[in-house]
Amino acid sequence: MGKINRNQLNQIRFKGKDIIDIRLGKVPIKADGEKHLMICGGTACHASKSEPVRDALKREVETRGLSNRCKVIETGNDAFAILAPAMVVYPEGVYYVHLIPDDVHDIVSQHLIDGKPVERLFYRDISNGKSIPRMMDIPYFSNQRMVTLRNLTLIDPEIIDDAIARDAYQGAAKALIDMAAEEIINQMKISGLRGRGGAGFPTGMKWEFASKSKGDVKYILCNADEGDPGAFMDRSVLEADPHAVLDGMIIAAKAIKAHQGYIYCRAEYPLAIKRLGIAIGQARQYGLLGTNILGSGFDFDLEIYQGAGAFVCGEETALMTSIEGKRGMPRPRPPFPAQEGLWKKPTVLNNVETLANVAQIILNGGEWYASVGTESSKGTKVFALSGKVNNSGLVEVPMGTPLKDIVYNIGGGIPKAKRFKGVQLGGPSGGCIPSELLDTVTDYEAITSTGAIMGSGGMVVMDEDNCMVDIARFFMEFCQEESCGKCTPGREGTKRMLEILTRITKGRGELSDIDTLEELALMVKDSALCGLGQTAPNPVLSTIRYFRHEYEDHILEHRCEAGVCPDLFKAKCINACPLGQEVPGYISLVEEERFEEAIRLIRQTNPMPGTLGRVCSHPCMDVCIRAQTDAPINIPEIKRYAADMARERGVVAEFKKAKKNSEEIAVIGGGPSGLGASYYLSLMGYNVTMFEELPKLGGMLRYGIPAYRLPRDILDEEINDIINTGIAVRTGVRVGRDISMEKLQKDFDAIFIGIGAHRSQIMGIPGEDIDGVYGGAEFLRQVGLGNTPNIGKTVAVIGGGNTAIDVARTCRRMGADVTILYRREQKDMPATAEEIEDGIDEGIELKTFMMPGSINKDNGRLNIILHKCEPGEFDRDGRRTPVPITDALVREEYDTIFAAIGQVSDTSFISNLDLKRGWIEIDRLTLKTNLDNIYAGGDAVTGPALVVDALAAGKRAAIAIDRDLSAKKGRKPYEDQYDKIFITMKVPGDTIKQDMAKAPKISAKERIKDFSEVEHGFDIKTVKGECARCLRCDVKID
Amino acid sequence: MSELKSVPKKKITPEMWGEIDKIINRYKDKPGSLIPVLEECQNVSGYLPMEVQERVSRGLNIPGSTIYGVVSFYSFFTMIPKGRHIIKVCLGTACYVRGGKANLDYVKDEFEVEVGSTTTDLRFSLDSVRCLGACGMAPAMVVDKDTYAQVSRANIMEILESYK
Repeated sequence: MGKINRNQLNQIRFKGKDIIDIRLGKVPIKADGEKHLMICGGTACHASKSEPVRDALKREVETRGLSNRCKVIETGNDAFAILAPAMVVYPEGVYYVHLIPDDVHDIVSQHLIDGKPVERLFYRDISNGKSIPRMMDIPYFSNQRMVTLRNLTLIDPEIIDDAIARDAYQGAAKALIDMAAEEIINQMKISGLRGRGGAGFPTGMKWEFASKSKGDVKYILCNADEGDPGAFMDRSVLEADPHAVLDGMIIAAKAIKAHQGYIYCRAEYPLAIKRLGIAIGQARQYGLLGTNILGSGFDFDLEIYQGAGAFVCGEETALMTSIEGKRGMPRPRPPFPAQEGLWKKPTVLNNVETLANVAQIILNGGEWYASVGTESSKGTKVFALSGKVNNSGLVEVPMGTPLKDIVYNIGGGIPKAKRFKGVQLGGPSGGCIPSELLDTVTDYEAITSTGAIMGSGGMVVMDEDNCMVDIARFFMEFCQEESCGKCTPGREGTKRMLEILTRITKGRGELSDIDTLEELALMVKDSALCGLGQTAPNPVLSTIRYFRHEYEDHILEHRCEAGVCPDLFKAKCINACPLGQEVPGYISLVEEERFEEAIRLIRQTNPMPGTLGRVCSHPCMDVCIRAQTDAPINIPEIKRYAADMARERGVVAEFKKAKKNSEEIAVIGGGPSGLGASYYLSLMGYNVTMFEELPKLGGMLRYGIPAYRLPRDILDEEINDIINTGIAVRTGVRVGRDISMEKLQKDFDAIFIGIGAHRSQIMGIPGEDIDGVYGGAEFLRQVGLGNTPNIGKTVAVIGGGNTAIDVARTCRRMGADVTILYRREQKDMPATAEEIEDGIDEGIELKTFMMPGSINKDNGRLNIILHKCEPGEFDRDGRRTPVPITDALVREEYDTIFAAIGQVSDTSFISNLDLKRGWIEIDRLTLKTNLDNIYAGGDAVTGPALVVDALAAGKRAAIAIDRDLSAKKGRKPYEDQYDKIFITMKVPGDTIKQDMAKAPKISAKERIKDFSEVEHGFDIKTVKGECARCLRCDVKID
Repeated sequence: MSELKSVPKKKITPEMWGEIDKIINRYKDKPGSLIPVLEECQNVSGYLPMEVQERVSRGLNIPGSTIYGVVSFYSFFTMIPKGRHIIKVCLGTACYVRGGKANLDYVKDEFEVEVGSTTTDLRFSLDSVRCLGACGMAPAMVVDKDTYAQVSRANIMEILESYK
């Protein structure tokens, strides 16, 4: 068919209706009916090897004689990128994911011939394991609003008739034949469409300026130079639905009276260029491009102009300069492109996504588009969600959607239970949005107020393993390399900022660098010639604003908490350990059976190895690189082995004390933070006195953690080792009652408060004070004191943390039937996963989605009314808020009920101490409270945390106290005098996949009989095998 | 600008010169066509040494300095011959966040080639690219026209083995 007129266009659309109806599911589903197999075929899909699947499918369909009724059609990508190769079968709408060529046989036999969809190929929701057969039922898709992406999976991008059947060129026809230029511009203004390339300039206004410019020669340009790392929206549109862009350009041309257009497409998109080329060729054949389009009398044609690998050419004036055959350098404005653009003629440049929406606006009216979105940001926006997120791919949502919904509802949250840190919006021109601001909605101005920009739509999620200083450096390096060099702020400013950032990541930063960076950033923003320079400082400003502490840590403590900047840490495990334990070192020593040296090395940074080897929640294992191959190294068990071996061989804990200092230090609290502070202050030569209100030292280690986890003889030994360094201990003494705070302030040169958090949090429900309802922490304290409170036969524990589990397992050993009541689901429980499982093995019942309503006593029987809940909206931590189901109440009777939903600190012994939300407030760097010479650390500051955190906090406090007291006396602060222990620096040989070794446990039935230790350590063969798995990340190859 | 002494030069055959002249002729009267001309010439000769630039300069009547300016500005143009296979490791945000740099360093070490250069046997050229737009499949790598997803030490050598 040659050139067509409007009638013929409509005929083609009508003829295609049957095909499209099958794909819209508008025909009855018959086992032997016509099937369309839309297999994804964008660049990313090809990268996931979709082409062999496509070819196998075509072959099999042909061989089985099904070619007449089963059509295999390759589309663009279908948004949910990580499921590729994926395919939709219409009219059923069944979605098959992660396909390999071997799956083709089943698809053809079972589904196409027998009419039974292949269940094993359905999408499976990772959060609950349920499989979802239909694409539009998958939350990832059902939570989206496809306007730009309306043709997803519905058309073959290389067949123009498919696009026409979906209304392609109807908008152009209406604009060219039914409307005047002013009307078109008016509808665009009503729609409120703003440039989707990032700047957000109102499209209607831009067209109006250009239409008013004088001259016969004008240009329409499409910016398909999508250069932002992390953005793939435009590429997806071009590969899936190129005619939408052509349609939009024709309409724009009519509006401003242009007759020539260019699509500037980056060369890194060969598939997009290919499909655009095919689309343009087919459009020309129909006369939809060229002279007298559709008989309207209007001429318009366009060409593809291929980029040559320069990010700056995505900038408006640089792009035009590039088309003119020159170096892509921007020009000063005014004059603006609407007056003088390409070849100095009036030019309109629009982004791909912007143009892809134009035809629908013209067809449905501007008000239709403006009915969605916020006051200032109308319509929908396509985002490219990627990074540390479970579901990555394209996401189209109405403007005004909270970012939290995109990250959690659609994105499915952060993989591997890591903690969300920030989401980068707008690529190298944008900024990071931290979790506090996740309620921000997608609206140009709302996002700009956070310091980020909407940008073109790239949305990269980051977690706790990403370093924000390194991210800032990464973007600045990008901008520096891509800077065209024309203006000094762009050329020199980015270079200097990059130098400073690089120095900081290498541990050579100074505190003044942060201010210098900000100063430079504002200067560059203000004076750079083009958008690249003006926005390059944004990531730096944004990360300083929300993650200043990371910069400070890199500069002042040479510490990269995320374990990314290679000059600032030796191995990720050492870096993640709050005590900085030399993990690969002692693993190597244990493997070589040099046990005494191993325990010496461990003790250099950890005075309680037997304790921590048993109870530590091992942040080291969470970052162990070995996990990428098979499983992390069982580090705590190796440490425990070394400690137990040392005890067996009678190795005495040695220590080296510095010269005696005259100062007296008081440590309030005998738990891990107090023990840590006392130990190190004692080694530094200070005179330390510990004050502990309970009969013995240990804090949570003795009066919280039960003996079956931490045997008392081991705890006693390690506490004695600490005290034997020369610490005075006063137990049974409560500061504030037995001795006043004022006296301590008078008698001691410095005071460390490590009082922990021992009071159970109040639940705030009626009946909480009825006899029979107790706090979990208080109960554990009683047990620790050697008492056996009467708990009856049936016990309920409300809560999901380690305290709740400890209470439950203790009660089980006291002979009761125990039920844990938790308001969310098991995976949301903060307690260590293994503890929960051990508890369940011991016969404890876990009832999830149960929220306490009220507690009552009827006829002397204690009972609790519970609300059954269901998971609601995601909160900013990515956990779903429990929502009580109406009229779903449950009444349960128990002899005793424990509240273990959290703990608070008791700071009543001291007045005038500044608190923040109930916790002691300290300066992050000096560890000082607001009161002179008083420092604090541990749970009383952070809220309940890990034992190792408290121990490390005590150590840091000791260092801080020593620094301040030494400064007063003009002496040098204490420096570690560790003996160097020779460690074999050898990289292991071949890596063979194997499981992590696990320590044997007493059977559940046996172990609930008493409080003896549940876990036995490794034997020599197992521990050496486990040590051999260590990849020795501390060995650097030169 | 480039260490030409460490990389062997590739000969430009008479057939190639013929193609190059045809390209120049096709675009001779079109303003602003320098970049498409250079792109197509590079497809023919594999790189743009001074000789080719001079030819284009004479053919299109554009000063040699302007042409050199354009060649040195755009990262797609190279004055070093490319290897038989081009490896492009993506270092865009999502790939970077998932370990793209480790992949790059690994290839550099194994094949003794710097970024932006070619192995001495002209088998591989190595480049880092900013973003392949396959962010959902990070970390990504392209070899010639083939895009690979979720690349890591575990599979990278296997992938490269097949490119002789």
